[in-house]
This record gives sequence, C-alpha cells and structure tokens, in this order.
Amino acid sequence: MSVPTRHHTVAAGADERPAEPEAPRPPRGLPFWANPRFGLLVVIAVLVLVFSSLRSSFLDTDLTLVPMQQDVSVFLVVGLAQLTVLSLGHMNLAVPRIAAVSAFVMGWCYQQLAMPLVLGLLVGLAAGALVGAAAGLIITATGVNSFIVTLALDFALTGLVSLLYSHVGDGVAFAAHPAGMDTLRNDTFSDYCTGNTCGPPIPLIVPIALLAALLVGLLFRPTRIGREILMTGSNLRAARLSGIPTGRRIVQAHALSGALAALAGFLLAINNGAFSADIGNSFLLPSFLAPVLGGTLLSGGSVSVLGTALGASLTEVIQTGLNLLNFSVQDLNIFIGLVLLAALSLDRLRQVLADRRGVRA
Amino acid sequence: MTPVVQSEDRNSLMRVRSFLRGSDLTLLLIAVVGFGVLAATTDGNMLSGETLKALFQYLAVPILIGLAQMAVLAVGQMNLSVGVVTGFTAMVAAWLMVRAGLPAPIAVLAAVLLGGGIGLVNGLLVVLTRINGFIVTLATMTVVDGLRYGVNGTGTFQGYSRRLVSLGQGSVLGLPDVFLVALAVAAAVAVFFGRAVLGRQLLASGGNPLAARLSGISGNRAIVAAHVLSGLLAGIAGIVELALSGSVNASIGDDLLLPSFAAPIIGGVALTGGVVAVLGTCVAAFIIRLVDVAQAQYSIDPSWVDLIIGGVVLGAVLTTRLRTREGRPER
Amino acid sequence: MTFVAEKIVKRFPGIRALDQATLRLEPGTIQALLGENGAGKSTLIKVVTGVYRPDAGRLLRIDEHGNPTELTFAGPLDAQRAGIGVVHQERNLIPGFSVAENIALQAMPQRRGLVDRDAMRVIARRCLARLDVALDLDRPVSGLSVAQLQLVEIAKALAIDSTVLLLDEPTASLTGEEADRLYSVVRSLRDQGHSVVLVSHKLEEVFAVADTVTVLRDGRSVAEARPLAEHTRDDVVTMMVGRAHADLDLETRAVDQRAVPALELADVSTEHGHVGISLHVQRGEILGLYGLVGAGRSELARAVLGLGRITGGAVRIHGERATIRSVGQALGRYRLGYVTENRKDEGLFLDQSVARNVAVTVWRRMARMGVVRGKDEQAVVERYRDRLGIRVAGPAQLAGQLSGGNQQKVSLSKWLAADCDILIIDEPTVGIDVRTKAAFHELIVGLADSGIAILLISSDLPEMIALADRVAVMSDYRIVGELSNDHRYETASQLIIRMIHAEIAS
Repeated sequence: MSVPTRHHTVAAGADERPAEPEAPRPPRGLPFWANPRFGLLVVIAVLVLVFSSLRSSFLDTDLTLVPMQQDVSVFLVVGLAQLTVLSLGHMNLAVPRIAAVSAFVMGWCYQQLAMPLVLGLLVGLAAGALVGAAAGLIITATGVNSFIVTLALDFALTGLVSLLYSHVGDGVAFAAHPAGMDTLRNDTFSDYCTGNTCGPPIPLIVPIALLAALLVGLLFRPTRIGREILMTGSNLRAARLSGIPTGRRIVQAHALSGALAALAGFLLAINNGAFSADIGNSFLLPSFLAPVLGGTLLSGGSVSVLGTALGASLTEVIQTGLNLLNFSVQDLNIFIGLVLLAALSLDRLRQVLADRRGVRA
Repeated sequence: MTPVVQSEDRNSLMRVRSFLRGSDLTLLLIAVVGFGVLAATTDGNMLSGETLKALFQYLAVPILIGLAQMAVLAVGQMNLSVGVVTGFTAMVAAWLMVRAGLPAPIAVLAAVLLGGGIGLVNGLLVVLTRINGFIVTLATMTVVDGLRYGVNGTGTFQGYSRRLVSLGQGSVLGLPDVFLVALAVAAAVAVFFGRAVLGRQLLASGGNPLAARLSGISGNRAIVAAHVLSGLLAGIAGIVELALSGSVNASIGDDLLLPSFAAPIIGGVALTGGVVAVLGTCVAAFIIRLVDVAQAQYSIDPSWVDLIIGGVVLGAVLTTRLRTREGRPER
Repeated sequence: MTFVAEKIVKRFPGIRALDQATLRLEPGTIQALLGENGAGKSTLIKVVTGVYRPDAGRLLRIDEHGNPTELTFAGPLDAQRAGIGVVHQERNLIPGFSVAENIALQAMPQRRGLVDRDAMRVIARRCLARLDVALDLDRPVSGLSVAQLQLVEIAKALAIDSTVLLLDEPTASLTGEEADRLYSVVRSLRDQGHSVVLVSHKLEEVFAVADTVTVLRDGRSVAEARPLAEHTRDDVVTMMVGRAHADLDLETRAVDQRAVPALELADVSTEHGHVGISLHVQRGEILGLYGLVGAGRSELARAVLGLGRITGGAVRIHGERATIRSVGQALGRYRLGYVTENRKDEGLFLDQSVARNVAVTVWRRMARMGVVRGKDEQAVVERYRDRLGIRVAGPAQLAGQLSGGNQQKVSLSKWLAADCDILIIDEPTVGIDVRTKAAFHELIVGLADSGIAILLISSDLPEMIALADRVAVMSDYRIVGELSNDHRYETASQLIIRMIHAEIAS
C-alpha cells in the first residue's frame, strides 16, 4: 500500500507514478531571458540609462557613484546574512539586531579597550556568529520554526542593545574612532596613486563586501559544508538519512548568518562614521529584498550570491535615481515593492518553464 | 508502520503550543497575577482611573493587530503588511475627512474596506503566483509603506471628526470605548472562527488541506478569505489609531509588525495553520501591555520590555523541549 | 443499488497497471479485494474513488430495476457524491475539529452562515449510532486513537450517505481487539445494506469477515466477486500468486555460512517494540526480511542505523559489537548503508541535480581542506551512472525529473559510492515497472556477487523468493520463522505465507 507522505497530493498520478518512459529528454535549458540574473542586469542597465539621461548628476562620481557603492556594499552583506539561512529554508528575523549587538561589541572594544580596527572587527564577527549559532542551536534542539525563534531573539536583542547603550557611552553611540576608520570611510582607491595612475573611484569598503560575497559563493559551491547545508535545506529527512550531520549544518549556517550580520553592522558604522544604537534598524526589509529579487526563494536548497548582489544593486539604483528625481523616500518604496512583485511573477513563469523542461529553475 | 501525517515542524509546534497554552487559563492566570503584583507594588497607583484607562485604551490596537495576524496564521500564511495597512487606512480616513470633507462614518467605512481590499490583493497574489505569503506580503508591505506616505507626505492630519476623537477618549463604566470596540471585534472574530461556516472552512483548510479539499473546501478561497479578513482587521486598527490620538501622520504602524506576531504566537497559534486562539491572543496582548505599563510605573528603561518578551518566548520554547524530552522518542 | 467498475484499463507510461479489471459491488455484502503488491489494487481503488480516470472501461450504477447509469468522476468529490466513501488511515480528518464537526464536515448544516451545531450533533450522533459506537461528540479528534479515528472516518462517510465503503488496510495499525470491534461495525453496516470493500493482506481476517472476494493479479481480475465460502485459503493464495513468476527463479548461490557475519543482530529489542530479534547476513549474501506492511521491518532497519533506540541485545558488524548513533557514523565507521523505501521523501533531493544526489555521501571523504573538487565528484557520478545503468540526460538533470526506476538507482548509488559493504535495501521496486524491476533484481544480485552483504526488505513475495538466499519472516515486530530459500516459488511462497498466518492466527 502506498505510504502516506508529507506532501498531500490529490492530483492524479502525482502520488505514485509507476513508471515513465525510460528515454531521457535532454534538458534544453531555459531561454536566457528567463534567467533572473539576466533580467536583473537588464533592468539595472535600463534604469541607469534612464536616470543618467534625466539627471546627469546620476553619473557624478562624488555625489552619486561613491555613496551608491558604499550603500550597496552594506545591503549586499545584509542580503548575504539572510541568504545563508534561506539556503536551509529558514529565516533570520534577527539579522538587524545581531548587527546592532555586534556593532555595540565592536564600538565597546574600540572605546574601552582601544582595540585596533581589525581586531575589534574580528571580535564583533565572533559575537555575531555566537548569537547566530545560539539561534541555530535553539532551532535544532527544539525543532521550532526558525521564524518564531529569530523573532523572539530579535525582541530580546532589541531590548538588550538599547540597555547596553544606555549603560555605556552617551546612550546612543560610541565616540571612539579607531585608526583607519575614517580612511575606510572617506577614501576611494583614486586617492592612492603610483605616479600618475590612480585607482578607480571605488570606496575602500567595497572590496570587503565583495570578499564576503566571494567567500559565501565559494562556500556554497565546492565545499562540503556549504553543499551539505543546501542538501539539508532541500530535504531534511533525506539529508539525515544520507549521513549529513544536519543539526551541525543548521547551527553553522545560522552562525555564518550572524557573522555576516555583524559585518554589515560594521560596514554601516563605517559609512555612518559612528558605532551607534540605530545600526541595523533598516536591515530587515533589505535582507530579504536582495536575495529574493536575485531569485532565491524561501524553500531552501538553492541560493544565488550573484543574484543577491544584483538585487542589492537594483534597490540602490532605484533609490538613488528616484532621489535625484526628487521623489520622496517613501515613493521609492512603492517602486521597489512593484519591482519585487514583477520579479516574483517572472519567477513563477520561470518555475512553470523549468517544470516543463525538467531543469533547475 | 505508523504513517507520518504531520511534519516534524508541526509536531514540535503543537508541543510548544500545548505548553504555552496549557489552556488559555495559564495565560489568564499570568495576566491576573501580573496585574495584581503591579497593583500591589505601585501603592494602588495602577488602580487609579487614569492609569487604568490608559492601560486599556492602548490595548485596543495590539489586540486588533494580533487578530489580524492570527487570521492569516489560521490558514498557514503570514501577513507582513498588517502594520503599514493600519497606518495607510488611518491616513486615508483622515484625508477623506479633512481634505475631501466626507462625513466620518463614510470615511471610516471606506478606510476599513480599503484594508479589506489590500487583503484581497494579497490573497489573490498568493493564490495566483503560488509564492509564499511571506514574500508576497513583503512586497505589498513595501508598496503600501510608500502609499502611506503618499497621502500627506510626512505631514500631520488633525481636526478631523470630533465625534471620532471623543469616542477615542470616552469610556463606558470605566472601560475605554476603543477597548470595547476591540473586544467586540474580538468576539466577532471568535464567532467567525468558532461558528461561521466560512471560518470553520478556513480552519479546516489550514489544519489539513487535503482533507479539506476532499470535503469540497477550496484552499484558494480560504487563503483569499483569510487575507481579506486580516486586511479588514488592520483597517479597523487604523480607525482606532485615528480615534485615539486626534492627529495622525504616516509613521503610524511602523512598530506594529513584530507585536502582531508576538500576541498570537504567545497566545497559542501555530504557524502551520489550523489553529486560532482569540482569547489567547487578547490575553497575550494584555500581558505585553502589562509589561509596558510596568515599565512606565517603575520607570524602568523601556528596553526591558522587549528583552523580557523575547526572553520569555525563547524560554518557553526551550522549556517545552525539556518537558517533552523524556516522554517522546526523537524521530 | 449495485456499483460496477467494468473492464477498467489504466495505463501509465511503460506499464499497464489495470488490464480489464472488474469490480462488482452488491449491496449488503462485504467483499474482499486481494492481490499481491503491484497487482493493481491501489490503482483500482483510485479509479473507483475518482482520483484516477480510467483509460478504458466503465463505472456503472445499477438501480433496483436493473437499469444502469454510467458515471464519470472528474475528481474525488464526484465519487463521494455518487455515494462512494473511502476510509483512509487517519488522513482525512481535521485535527483540531471535534468528532461531530469532522463527521458532518461535508454536509455541514448551517443557519444564516453559522454552523448549526445542534443539527451537526444530530447528524454525528445518528451516524455513530448506526455504527453502535459511543464517542464524545465534542472531543477534538487529535486526541483519539487510531481505531477511534477510523470509526470517525466511517461515520463521516455515512454522513454523506455513502452506499459503498472502501476500507483500505483498516487493521494495519490496530490491536486484535480493536480490529474485532471494527469488523463488528463493518458487519452491521453490511446488514444495513451497505456494500463494503475490504482491502487487506491479512487472509485470516478476510476469511472471517468477507462474503465475497475479488482477486487481482497483474492488473487483471482473476476472480470476480466469488463467494468466499467456496474457497479455501490455499485456493486464494494460489489465485493471488499465480505461476507467472516462475521465470524469475535463480540458481542457489553458494554462501559460506561459517564465516563471521557482516551484520549480526543478537536478541535485539528496540524502542519501537521489537523483541528478541536475531538474524545475520554474510558477505555476499542476500538475506530477505519478509513481512506484511506494519510488521516492523523498516523500523528495525532504522533502529540499526541509529535513528531509533536499541534497548537490548547486541548489533555486531564483522564480529565487532557496534553502537551506532547516527547515519553518519553507520556510513563512515561501519560502511553500512540504508536505501529507504520512501524514495521521494527520504531517499532523494528532488530539486537537486543527479550528480549531487549521487555524491552526497562521498563529500565527507572527498573533501580536501573542506573543498570538493568537481573532477573527483564527476568521476564518482559517472562510475555509478555506468555501473547501474542510470539513464540521465546529464549530471545536471534534476533527480525529480527521472523515472521511478532511475530515481531508485540514484537513491541506491549514493550508498555504493560511499563504498558500503553492508546494505539494507527497503522495498526497492515499489512503483517501478516490470522491465526496470527485472534489471534492478539483476543489479541487487550483482552487488551480492561482488561481496556486499544485503538485507533485503520487501513485501513483494516473488521478488523475495527470486532474490534472497535465506528469508527471515517478521510479523508483529518479531521474527516468526526463517527458511533457506530454494527459489521454488510455489513451495517457498506457501511456506512463508503460512508462517505469517500461523502467527496471526495464534
């Protein structure tokens, strides 16, 4: 008799299809336009064209391009923080507050212990990873939905952060500016010249974000841990039956998410010029926007780092462009929301196509 | 071989639920004891008319917003747009009265319907795109967030219907009108999920989609209906905000999203659907409110409120685990 | 009113699941529907209940005057409206709802949009009264026992005036007493004029309860609504198994039974309720573990793998006592693999590529500094693709897009890739067409020939007798007998079935 399955299907034949023709069809692949990354790239290009023809200042290096790159760097890392748990089919609603707590830790290290910039960053990353790992542990130990666990964690950390700030420093921010912080904030590679050739106008924090993206991308492609995390997200029971230590993988993914949230907090603090209590406040929505726009769904089992980068860029292009066109901050949201809806509809189409052709969407 | 009907997720959630709930009695007990302790330790300050009034006045929106989230949780969905819809409907109703000069009842009705309409859009999008409600409402939340500011920018509306505002300040037998409105709505929601055919169908669909479908209940219809209800409730919350303050701006609803989840989850609603707890949600909202009031009474740093709520939920999750560890073998 | 499914044909790509099968249901009778696994019972039930549409044949309702009406079911709801109710095992109820509400769900009485609770209780009470069952109407069904849930489901079917009731393995998870109770309910329904179809593997029960029997074999009905009184149990078994599988017989393979067993269970008991399980498998040997659904075979396999607790006795691997706590350990330390019966839920990552599905177990071995080299992985994937004859368009193809047989090969190949030398293979050919099945059998024998110790769990008797060197028979979480397989189908199958039924009878 058929074994009851988790997926309740009534559709005829979907349940136990005895056999299919043995001749395999070669997958034709999806048309290029159905590739979400390609679509994003086109949309970004078109928007850049439109904005720069309407406002020449859109291509102004100091006014627009440099700040844009700084913002994208932060949003990219925020998106990656969410992406690493989306790979499991989990969510991390505590990304904003893990960033905040870690930023506090870093600020405290700089202020009270006068740590050098890099050392403080490392301590902050460790703090973020620790908090993330705690969330992962609670999830694996209890089997409770990650949504509930990280929601509760977010609440708890929200309180903790403002308590911490109210007991240390002037209540909202640290005044400390460790050596290198302002350089990292203000300089671009064009400030460093050898002879007459100077670097491109790329802010110094961009390589940090790119390095993070590269590492996350590397993790999910050829490494054992990354692959096993994806398999755990794809099918938990099958992963466990295949000998994957699923509990450990879940904790690791959440720890990485925490560390990335901490890095995002660090980058934002650099951009803002201070480690303050409001770090992370604006992170929740972008953390989902970037990966979801980039084609990573919530079901787990697959991620796109490149898509996340493009998703973060698109949001930033829209924001900056509309800003220059004197749209209010709030109008931006309407556009971003609509773009997200359009992306989702395209995604649905892609899914249908993929199902039909038997290839990975 | 024992058929595995429920996913592990659901099983563990049921465990958490049964602990958090025990019955609604546990929550009620916590609420009463909490209130008693507060009253005793603040030299009866708690029992003064003004404090009591404020306690219940500002309980109305948390209850409504919790119910709005509960309505979609009932079918296993989430609605991230509840907060911004609340703000948007408040702004639209104010605009209708102040700028368009419409009488208050019409503006109120229109705003509530607007909430329902946004819910309808959410529901249809979920059903048509078959994409997770979390993401869909994330998108609509972003859009509505923008629309909310589109009504009047960051400006403030005031001087709208005096009757509405006096309703917000008035009380019957010591209980604020807005609180009574919230209670009436809660009662209606309880009747809807407890007795109405449509409400039962939503719960059936949330509890066991396959069985519901075999009984002729459309899962799609249930999802759309739940989102509409959620939108309507958020709309009502918007009106209550309007009545409470006498002046509104677009920032209303900013801090409502996470509380909207906290009340039903503490109140015993499962994320997987099929369960509602109207009383539990209301009592949970009350308890959260008590923590708020306690903070004001003791002049504690408000940050403790969030810390305590988060800690309590995490603690509940963990202790549930410890309680069930002996009995049930792990799968 | 008589219901007939006449000469039903149902084809799936590559297989004819039903080949002119006929099921004739007379009012006031209990009819048993019998057949080996893969004979087409499930498919026939799905056709009758509107889940599948037949490719040929008719569904007819014949009234008292003998006038036939042809029925077409667009879906399960249509079948229900036509009076055909199915009782699944605890799958069709809403957990949080009360007994009364579940029973009345489909025909919910209402007044002005509200559920009319009094009328609802009246309906529920009436239906339960017809079953002569007393249950608290207001209790949520989530707290009921399996037996009670089934009664609620039957009552639910009565609430929509089902004249035909299909009971699919109703006693699989019931105690003897509960089963007796259920069957007295079934008898009273028959006496009220219902037509009851009983699908069961337990011949004892069938003979005790049913009036008539329809036997399916290879998609055909070899006996149609015959009075059971005219048949002995041996007749029925013969009809079920036929002689069609004689060509599957293999030669007896030589296995050295004096060597140290690769896997040995000595007096093992588990948290699932297994008691005193003793069995052993040698290298290169196929030990069959036969039993009915619910006998506890898969649970035993899981306990050995560390997914359930072993509470007594000893597991020895190559003579060494082993305490396995996780699948990872079973795999890494003891080279013991488990090919699950539940391919789609536990065996495969449907949304991942074939390559990843095959290589998932070898990453741990392959990784250098945590990194898996694409070339190494590809080599493994290609080796097993060729060795098992997995037909894929490319390693990037998704596992979910493969046919059942190829999926099963992928599910198996990850264990071979991991260099397992003991394999527990659970129901390897369920849902696989005949041709692929034969290839799969050859493959399993080939694995044994190459020195792997195989514990084969199967409910497919011909398969078991064709492949196993020895067969251990399990019933109700105990081993009730063991035989050295002579691959002679008639004698071996009779022996095995008797072992089980002797156990059930006693």
